Amino acid sequence: MNKNYRISNNIQRFFIYLFLVILLVITVVPVWMMLVNATRSTTQIQQGIGFFPSHYIVSNYKILLSKGLDLPRGFLNSLFISSMVTLITVYFSMLTAYGIVVYEFKGKKFLYNSIIVLVMIPTQLSIIGFYQYMSKIGLSDSYATLILPSIASAGAVFFSKQYLESIMIKDLVDAGRIDGCSELGIFHKIMMPIAAPGAFTLGIFAFVGAWNNFFNAFILITSRAKYTLPMLVQTLRGDVYRHEYGAIYLGLAATVVPIIVIYFLFSRYIVNGISLGAVKE
Amino acid sequence: MLSKINKNKIGYFFIAPFVIGFLLFGLYPVYNTIALSFTNATLMKSSSKFVGLLNFQRLFADSTFPTAIKNTWELWLMNFIPQLGIALLLAVWFTSTRLKIKGGGFWRMLFYLPNLMMSATIAALFFSIFSLYGPANQFLVRAGILFEAIDFIRNPQVMRAVVVFIQWWLWFGQTTIILMAAMTSISVSIYEAALVDGSNGWQMFRYITLPLIKPVMIYVLVTSLVGGMQMFDIPMLLTDGRGSPSNSILTNNILMYMKFRSTDGLIGSASAVGVVIFIMTTFVALLIFYVLREKKGEKSKEISS
Repeated sequence: MNKNYRISNNIQRFFIYLFLVILLVITVVPVWMMLVNATRSTTQIQQGIGFFPSHYIVSNYKILLSKGLDLPRGFLNSLFISSMVTLITVYFSMLTAYGIVVYEFKGKKFLYNSIIVLVMIPTQLSIIGFYQYMSKIGLSDSYATLILPSIASAGAVFFSKQYLESIMIKDLVDAGRIDGCSELGIFHKIMMPIAAPGAFTLGIFAFVGAWNNFFNAFILITSRAKYTLPMLVQTLRGDVYRHEYGAIYLGLAATVVPIIVIYFLFSRYIVNGISLGAVKE
Repeated sequence: MLSKINKNKIGYFFIAPFVIGFLLFGLYPVYNTIALSFTNATLMKSSSKFVGLLNFQRLFADSTFPTAIKNTWELWLMNFIPQLGIALLLAVWFTSTRLKIKGGGFWRMLFYLPNLMMSATIAALFFSIFSLYGPANQFLVRAGILFEAIDFIRNPQVMRAVVVFIQWWLWFGQTTIILMAAMTSISVSIYEAALVDGSNGWQMFRYITLPLIKPVMIYVLVTSLVGGMQMFDIPMLLTDGRGSPSNSILTNNILMYMKFRSTDGLIGSASAVGVVIFIMTTFVALLIFYVLREKKGEKSKEISS
């Protein structure tokens, strides 16, 4: 009986591992192929599928630049926007969440409930109105339109509130007051260092979200010099690059490599962050 | 005590930047979009006038609108159902104490990887995989499955399948992580009690796991629905940005974008698309909450039956 049970268990496990390996192949192969093709010449790519890197990365890069794709510029544009969005999102979300968790004021419950509703409001309901209003006040084609809205990012406040509640020690706030700290000083000097892991997790999500954001930039930014990385990638599909497969794959890989590096360094924070955002204790 | 009350007032300063930022960048744009949807505003002229429901009437008279709605629903449902199914299976396997699957963290990490990549990159990547001289054709022709290369990019069925596949590929890892978090928060003692009562694996899943992770499943369902109704990047970038071939992957947001970027810049009618989709999404989300709400006494009944 016990033996049968163990055999059936092992058969089951065999099929589960088989299924996992198939899923893994599906998940990883397209990404791996893209990274490898970035190092192969167009001729090699046309000759067949390969899974081992070659040595044409520099010549692919030269082709890419010679066709007028300013990859370094797009990279810096995206880096600038994403860093600003990250800093603003983390600071103001933590500030707002701290206000909600520590103080008892009128309208607090209403504010918190509205934040939960706000998370659900889709971009499509605000983007056109936002664009028209930004052009009216002279901010069309400006990075401010991509950066400033992160002061009020409802999802990030929700996350910060969940996090701060789980680590909050009210006595520390009182101790700070007795020591003569200002209220904002308590937030900066006592709370932020304690909340650093949560702030870091939030920062990763904010960065990746801003780095990958295509829709908003595509609607709000028009001049070529201000194009972000996803907008440049989109132009790789154009006729100029027809049949320059090596160069195209290199352009694609360049957008993904920083994210993959961040992910392998901090995947633990990301996985925990997803869980914390969804499961309320 | 008095100082404590005064201190509480300071809370307003902490939330002030958020509230101001929200009024300026969140609420006003929403109001503005709704207001624009009742006008004939375009990007070409500065004045516009109130036209009542004309934009909405035109939208419903246009046959591409039902196509866009139907496409968006189909593309979302076809990726969401297998996404939830596979995520449930994976989450059960990874959290099972009987199966003892090794490397849970490793699998989970790699399954989530696609979600972090830029959708513009993914769309371009799959475009080149399925292009006439791309790896898909190379593989199928060499393996003898196809006699000659097929122009997948011009085939509506193939392109729909590719969009569904990419959406599934992007999201099944995240759904798995969320469901796993929900399952690990269930107390082991409930399962132990069920084992003592002679329950098998399926009964434990059906009568313990499923009812207890229901709130999280509703969260996954609603957030996926809201995201799915906004599907844009992948179908937009996979082909020519107009939902080709033959409108097969034209979604709500692509339609909105096409009106916005049309030569006249029809922002009035683009806003109307946004408003209608929002009303539809909200209605369905509320319906989901209503139908799946916790009915009185349901929990105890399900566990005891």
